[in-house]
Formats: sequence, C-alpha cells, structure tokens
Amino acid sequence: MAASSPATSRDNPRPQNTRAIMAFLREHAPFTSMDENHLAHFAEHASLRFYADGDVVLSPDEGPVTRFHIVKQGRIVGERGSLKDGETETTFEISVGECFPLAALIGERPTHTLHRAAGDTFCLSIENDAFITLLSESEAFRDFCIRGVSSLLDQVNQNIQSNAMVSMGGGSSLDTPLERYAIRNPIVCSPDLPVRKAVARMHENSVGSIVITNDTRHPKGIFTLRDLRTLVAEERAPLDTPIGQVMTPDPCCLTAEADAFEAAMKMAEFHFSHVCVVDDDGRLIGMVSERDLFALQRVDLVNLARTIGTANHLRTLVSLRTDVSRLVDAMLAHGADSGQVVKIITTLNDVTVRRVLELNLMKNDPGVPFTWLTFGSEGRQEQTLLTDQDNGILFVTPDGMSEDQAREKLLPFAETVTKELAECGFTLCKGNIMASNPKLCLSGDEWDEWFLRFIDASTPQNLVYSSIFLDMRAVFGDRAPLDKLLDKVLTRIRKNDLFQKMLAGNAVQRKPPLTMFRNFRYAPDGDRKSLDLKRQGLAPFVEAARVFALANGVAQANTLERMDQLAKKGVFDPKDANAWKEAYSLIQAIRMRSHQELLNRNEPLSNYINPDDLNPLDRRILRESFRQAQRLQQKLEVTYQL
Amino acid sequence: MINSLKQLIGRIGSKGAKHPRLEDLPPPVVPGEQSLTDCRLIVLDLETTGLNQSKDEVIAIGAVAIQDNAVDLSDQFDLVLRRPELDISETVLIHGIGPEALTRGHETEDALLHLLEWMNGDPVLAYHSAFDQSFLERTLRRKLAYTKSHTWFDVADLMPAFFPDSKPSGHGLDDWADHFGLEVSARHHAAADALATAELTLVAINQAQKKGISTLKALSERLKYYRRLRDVHRH
Repeated sequence: MAASSPATSRDNPRPQNTRAIMAFLREHAPFTSMDENHLAHFAEHASLRFYADGDVVLSPDEGPVTRFHIVKQGRIVGERGSLKDGETETTFEISVGECFPLAALIGERPTHTLHRAAGDTFCLSIENDAFITLLSESEAFRDFCIRGVSSLLDQVNQNIQSNAMVSMGGGSSLDTPLERYAIRNPIVCSPDLPVRKAVARMHENSVGSIVITNDTRHPKGIFTLRDLRTLVAEERAPLDTPIGQVMTPDPCCLTAEADAFEAAMKMAEFHFSHVCVVDDDGRLIGMVSERDLFALQRVDLVNLARTIGTANHLRTLVSLRTDVSRLVDAMLAHGADSGQVVKIITTLNDVTVRRVLELNLMKNDPGVPFTWLTFGSEGRQEQTLLTDQDNGILFVTPDGMSEDQAREKLLPFAETVTKELAECGFTLCKGNIMASNPKLCLSGDEWDEWFLRFIDASTPQNLVYSSIFLDMRAVFGDRAPLDKLLDKVLTRIRKNDLFQKMLAGNAVQRKPPLTMFRNFRYAPDGDRKSLDLKRQGLAPFVEAARVFALANGVAQANTLERMDQLAKKGVFDPKDANAWKEAYSLIQAIRMRSHQELLNRNEPLSNYINPDDLNPLDRRILRESFRQAQRLQQKLEVTYQL
Repeated sequence: MINSLKQLIGRIGSKGAKHPRLEDLPPPVVPGEQSLTDCRLIVLDLETTGLNQSKDEVIAIGAVAIQDNAVDLSDQFDLVLRRPELDISETVLIHGIGPEALTRGHETEDALLHLLEWMNGDPVLAYHSAFDQSFLERTLRRKLAYTKSHTWFDVADLMPAFFPDSKPSGHGLDDWADHFGLEVSARHHAAADALATAELTLVAINQAQKKGISTLKALSERLKYYRRLRDVHRH
C-alpha cells in the first residue's frame, strides 16, 4: 500500500503538530515546491526554539554551524562590528519563512555574522544530518540552497575584500562606483589659455593636472605636471603657447556609474594617469587620478602596465613577467574575484603583446598595415598565467601588392614576434595557430572566405577549432577591419541553423565531471583522482555560452559578458545567468588559486586538481558549480533538440 | 508478604489488574537541583468529554517534550483514545473529534501505558494544570491502578509569575498566546494546544533563566512564592 494513498493516510495520520509545521513550511520558498515526504521529513526532525528580543541566535564564536534554521515567528538581524568605536551595524534581516545560515552550514564553518533576535522570535531548525538528507533528496531544496549560497558567497567575497581593505588602510573596494573617488569640480581651463597661466592655476589649487574643456564643458584634453616636465626639459614650446597645442588630446572618460576597477583597467591599458568622469552627455563632472585609486588599492597594476608598455628591451619585458605573477598573487590574496583577475592578466598580456609588436615595428616595419588578432582564451579575455599563444594577422593589402606579396613581408616579422612572445612566457601553440602560419596571416577577403569554408564544411576538426576561431579579438592595430569581418561571420552563423546545431552538439560532448550520484568523475587522461578544471569544468560553460551568443548575434567573446548579454536579450533567465556566471567564476577562482600555489612551489602549471586537496567548502562549491554546468548543457539540449 | 498483600488489595480496589510494564517505569522526578536546560519537560493537554471530573472522560492526549530549551518534534505524543461507549455529543463541537475518530483510537489501557512510558517520570506542564492533572491521574488510577503523582507545573501561573507587567486580555491560553503573537494551528486539538502551551513555556523559561532561575527546585519555589503573593492580594 502506498503511504500517500488517502485511505492509508487517514488510518495512520501524521500528528497534528507535524501537519501544522508542514502547512507553515508550504507557504514559503523553497518548501512551496517540495514533495510532501520531504516536508514531513523536515517537520518530524524539527526543533522549535524561542529567542527573546536581543538574544544571540548564532555567533561566530560558536564554531561550525550545525543546524539549518527557518524563522517561524519574529525576526533575526545580522550584526557586524564596525571598524571603529565598537559600534555595530545591521547587515541583513531575516524574517518569517526565511532560512539561515546557508553558506556557513554548507561550508561547515562558523557564521561570519552575529545573528540576533529582533523582537520575540521562534525558529524551527533541523540538524545537519536531516539537512544533508533533504539536500540530497530534494532537487527544489538543493537548488534553493545553492542559489542562496552563491548570493551569500558574494557577501563573503565582499567581506574578504573589505578585510583586505582594512589591512590596507583604505575604506572600499574596486567595485565602488567611480563617483565616490572622483574629485568634484576639477580645475579646468579653455584651450587658448597660455601654459604659464594654466600652470599657475594648478599651483594655486595645488593639483597635478588640469582639464581643458570647450564652452559646453566637454573635456578636450588634459595637461599634467609630467607634461610640463617634458615640455620644459625637451624645450618643445615656450610657456606662452596656448595650452590647447601642448595638451594630451582626447582624454579618457568614464561615467560616474563606472567602477574603480574599470578606471584602473583603462589607466593600465592606455597608460593614462588620469580619467575624466563625465555625465551622460559627456560633460565633465569630476576627475580620478591614479593616485586616488592607489590610495584605496595598493596594487601596482597601473604602474606595472606602464613599465611594460614603455620597456625598451625584450629582456625587460621577460623580467617583468615575474611582477605580473606577483601582482596576481596579491590580488587573489586580497580577495579580488576571478573575473577581475583574469581581466587584469589579459590586460597585462595585451600590453606585453603590444609592446613586443611596437619594439619589432621600430626595428623592422614590414610596411603592411595589419591588425593583430588573438583567439581562444586570450580572445575571450579569460587568460590565466598558463596560456598558449593563439594569434593571427588580418592585413590590408597595400596598393600595387598582391596578397601573397604582403604575406611574404609579414611572415618573417610574425615569426620573430611569436618567438619573442614565447620568451615572455606565452607558450608556442602546439597546433601552430599563430600569426607566423601562412594560413592565419590573411587579408580581410581571405579571412572572410576562410570563415565561409569553416562554417559550411562543419567538419569535426572545424568544430574543435570553433572554440578558438569563434572567440576572437583585436589586440593591436586598426579594429575596423575586424569589426567588418565579425559582422559578416555573425550574420552567416545566425542564418545557419545546421551549423548552430552542430556547435551545440559539440558543446555538450564534454560533460561536467559528476557521476549520476553527484560524486566527482575523474579526468580520463590525468592522474588518478584528478579533475581537469579547464576542460571538464570551464569548457562546458564557455562552449554553451558561445553557441547561444553566436546564435543570438552577441558579438562579445568574453564568457561572462556573453551571459550578461544573453540575459539582457531574454535568452537566459536572469537568475540562471547569475547562477551560471557565479559557478563559472568559482571554478575559475579555484583554478587560479591552484596555479598560484604551483607557481609558489616552483612546479609546472597544470589545470588538474585533486578534489581531496580542497577544503570542504571549495569541494561543495565545485560540485555544485559542475551541477550548474549540467543545467546549462540541458538548456542547450532542449533548445537544439539534441 | 505485606507487599503482595498490598498488591492484592490494590488489585481489588481498582478494576483492572496491575500491568507488569508498570514495574519498569522510572519513579516520577522530584524537583531538585536538576538543570532546567538539561532535564526533559513534558507539556501536555487533554481533551475530555466535559468539565465534570467525576463523570467526564479523557478522549485525546497531546503532548510535546522540551529539552535543551527546545521543543523536539521527533519526541511528541498525539493520541485519540478509544471510548466508543461514551456519549460525546456535548463536547464534540469544541474539539472536533467525532465518534468515528474515537472508535479508531488506541485501546485505552495500551495507550495509557504507552503514555506513561513516554512520560518517563519527567515533570509535566499544562495550562490550568489542576484540571489535566486530576483527569489524568483519575484515569490512570482507574484503568491501570497507577497511583504515583508526577511533578506538575501550571503554565497559567508560570506566565504571570515571570511577566508580571504583561496584561493579556484574560487568563486563558488564548489570551497569552495572543499576547506573544503565537499562532495556534488547531485550537482545542490536544496536540496543537500542547504545542502552544510549550511555546509559552519556552518564553517563560527564557525569562526565568535570565532571572537566574536554573533548576527545577528554583522554578518550583518561584511558583509557590508567586501563588502566595497572589493569594495575599486576593484576600
């Protein structure tokens, strides 16, 4: 007889109080969508506890959390001691029907925040064993807890960051909007003001820079003390020259909503020391200097990028690579998220690639205008310290020259560049996907034809290459030829359902490393008990995001940006997109931490890890992240009816 | 010899024979230095056929246990007794137990034995406990010849004793439940009333411990003191 048949349940009814608790649970997520049996399991294992107003419910001093709680009546507030004068601030509120503390429980650690009752409060709770049973048996409960954890993890992350800030003497993080740092009402002048007077104005206000604006307050240029030094030392112009003639034109501008991280990246990329903050109409409202950012984040990002970008010898570039690794170390230690770190690595790699190209152009210009392309992870701006070169050249055939003639001039140049990049630590590509390969040093028309064949042929080899060539970006040279090419390629793919379906089929080939029983499935080619975080963990996200992006005309190559765009276009549910972004970032973070550890031990970098070496929190996070990868692949299977 | 004579008299005095399982029961707890947190407390509510102690009968027993300052829902008692011969039309409306549910109930003796075993001699709390105590003890005496007295605490005294400044709108369970914003899932259902009473007990014990009362004995004395004070005011 089935336990759920009406006859049985009338003969053997659940106790009144069990039924009452089930009815209470049923009104709140995630219990609304849970099975009757799972609710009963909760109710039968629950304890009911009372906390008077102000009583401590959970405290960081109590050791690892062992119970899962839900507020039955009343309210709980999270309290954190602030840095000064022992005052506390409320960080969150948990009200009737809400569950806590997810992250600490799943992480088997103490809570970071003091939980205190606000008003007379009753909580139902179950012990860890009952919680684990529910977690493993109820899909709805599991989903809820993991999503809860991922948003909580954000908070934890922010905690780590703010802790780092405390030790660094700053007050906020790189995520903070720029307007918080911007100097309001920066010193400005018009372009016709003589340099002498402009410098006097800077001196009066004791600032190191002045913004040159037009009548409508749009920034036209910037002049800094460093410019003055060069002007005087090199005797470029007399001091009564209008400042408009000696300023650095077209200053870098960001809006006030941009965050400090973006500003730091811009400075690092273009070697500016100042960024203008403008309103939506482009009018100047403030100014942020490199020093302002340094004050909050003592990371030599901008300085390092500038040193790389102005290095005069390959030797110097090679030696600077150690600094890049040290910087990544520091950023990870300070709790920067993996998305920021990979972007920093990519930016510094870009700067290095550009400098190698510039140095070679100075020595030996092939005389053919070209755009330097990068593919794969570099194209997606997802590089870690372990990186292959995947590059190519898109050239413009000069008048009176055939494509082959242009190629002949470029290939020796490309050969030297790739060799020098290898010296800088960018491993030569085993598959010869490099600009020195005549098949990848092509004109715009040739590339177009190349992609036409690539898409129409859809051979298995092409599908393997899709992860490389369909994620591309210009690092050096004119962007316009690439934009034109990309436009054609995207349109072609959008129209080609068969190609999309084949890409999708290829993307679900690599399954996340979980068994049916939610244990880890180890990599077939690695050591026993090892997981390949790149191929088994990240690749499912990267590949699925690519298929959806290409099919929906998303031009970005970066996986996180692709997911953002797909959520914006309504292809992904925003909650799902967030869960996937988070899962992807968490795997990436674990991978990078492992790289740093290998580096510190002077061992060769590898993407394999043994999950037993991870702490229990990371192990669970990893497992759940892989599960999110499964969900994303399921979406692909449903969409393309695979 | 004297013991067996006593037993014989006991058997004659009560209708049924004394059950061997009764011998294994632990003796009821006497309030001493037992910690309020550590010891197990029973919170109980009875449904009866009426209010007349000499003629009315127990028809449902609901109880929960408190230990470690928490109601542990895996340790509860929710029982409808089998009393088909009783005319229950009078109170059936109040508690919603109809004749059909009554006949499905457990055999009375078995149920009571089970209850005693579950109670384990631990102290019992109830709202207006004098009523529940006398009904239960009379039933136990008549059905099982069980004559020991448990330690009882009245939650109706516990509340005003520890919340002298609170002014609920009356003296009933509903009034205190309302006062603390409790939701009673099914009023006049023995188990639901027992849980509501237990919730009030948790509130009271929380307050008692803040006032430095941490043992059964201290609690018992505090209640005696409260009743004496109340009676003085009454006279």
